[in-house]
Amino acid sequence: MSYLHSEKAGIVSTGVRHVGDVVVRWLPLLIVTGLWELASGWVVVETVLPPPLDVLIIAVDLVVSGQIVGDLLVSLWRIIWGLSLAIGVGVVLGVTMARVDPIEDFFGVFMSLIYPLPKTALVPLAVLWLGSGSGTAILVVFLACLLPIVLNSYNAAESVDQNLVWSAKMMGTSDRDMFRRVVVPAAIPEIITGIRQAVPIAFVALVSAELIAANRGIGYRILSYGQLGIYESMLAVIVVISLAAYVGVRGFERIERRVLVWT
Amino acid sequence: MDVTNIARISRHDVVEGAKSIYSLILLIALWELITQAGLIHYYFLPPLSDVLIEGYELTVSGEMIQASLLTLKRAFLGLLIATVLGVPIGILIARNRFVGWFFDPIITIGYPVPIISLIPVFMLWFGIGDVSKIILVGVGTFWPIAINARNSARAVNQNLIWSARMMGTPKRNLVWKVVVPDAAPGVLTGIQIALPLSLIITFVFEMVAGGGGLGHLEIQGVRSFTSTQTYATLIAIMLIGFVLDGTLRKIRRRLLRWA
Repeated sequence: MSYLHSEKAGIVSTGVRHVGDVVVRWLPLLIVTGLWELASGWVVVETVLPPPLDVLIIAVDLVVSGQIVGDLLVSLWRIIWGLSLAIGVGVVLGVTMARVDPIEDFFGVFMSLIYPLPKTALVPLAVLWLGSGSGTAILVVFLACLLPIVLNSYNAAESVDQNLVWSAKMMGTSDRDMFRRVVVPAAIPEIITGIRQAVPIAFVALVSAELIAANRGIGYRILSYGQLGIYESMLAVIVVISLAAYVGVRGFERIERRVLVWT
Repeated sequence: MDVTNIARISRHDVVEGAKSIYSLILLIALWELITQAGLIHYYFLPPLSDVLIEGYELTVSGEMIQASLLTLKRAFLGLLIATVLGVPIGILIARNRFVGWFFDPIITIGYPVPIISLIPVFMLWFGIGDVSKIILVGVGTFWPIAINARNSARAVNQNLIWSARMMGTPKRNLVWKVVVPDAAPGVLTGIQIALPLSLIITFVFEMVAGGGGLGHLEIQGVRSFTSTQTYATLIAIMLIGFVLDGTLRKIRRRLLRWA
């Protein structure tokens, strides 16, 4: 395979070939958007299926003009809070459950009760307690993200190489230091995997909470544009939130690779 | 688990069992005590006994069962569509260069879209009825199913394929005889991931658009200030989740004897 490429490289300059590769790679997407553009107005009414170019222009406009920035910031704020709380509580809970038996006995049953529960079923409960607003969204994000973080931290701390623990103990590490110095560093890669799994879940939880009970935020904006019948803007906001989720997930993957150089 | 086994439960097992659930019993007792003493507002946390009575009444009147069946119907039909489309497409992406070229960028772009945010769009396109919900579940669960099928079909051991070829398996039988059995555990993992997702989507859609179902029943409790209904539905959802999770594990063990 590789010799074919090198042969081609001799004829076409590498730069041009690179551009060609990119075009070929993303061509299917262009085809799909082209079909959408054609369908809108011809097959389906434009109000129901606005042309993709219009949607993109409005998406850019909503961000540049600042109309959506307020809601975007509110939503990101909620995600950061919910996720940080879940990381703080989840890592501590997971690691201590793995290393301290009484704590596992106490919390284990709750974890196995929450585990099979589809997490959006908790939205009404959050609304019941906190009404509609940031508190509800943060609570839902927190609860939805907690479990993957706890589970991964638990597995990570449970599977820490026992030889490491013994060696450290032999060299005089106290039980208290064992956590900070041995267990946590050894478990960090898997803990971060848990957090990475939680990032897309956080976006789903956030939008659910905001669709059902919120007066601000991206989810609320999508719903209210829909109710007002401004469908281009509704789709544009979805493009914006999808982009935010994409950047969030990809950004975290990059951080993960950067942080975990030793694995 | 036969009778002789049950008879031989040791003292150790009993102690371990008690250790693992004592906190739950403690919490339930605390819940009942605090609420009966009126230390917390009834609306926020009604006594568990009231919740169970409400759950019993909803079940006897048929409301809970009807809502459960409605929700499960929507989730399962959507999941079925996603499986029927997602598994073959995922395997073809891995095995066929043209299909791979076409779908790979679509998956890259489509997968990160928070599928819940499409609920208002689907209300516009397909209305608020069953069809709309089923299609959204189908779209939402398509991604994990297709991606897992693709990744596990890509990871099929090349030696297996070469061996099969050498032993005379024709090319068109290769997928069916070698790739599918080897990729099956990964495919099932995709469906296992998609199952809770299908319920997650159904619940939120029911809460936003109504039309019956457990999500609707649950949020209705909040809106009509009968919090016992919300709690009772939540317990029912938990039970359903438990049963589904267990069933899927059992199916996995039975289907994948060779893995």
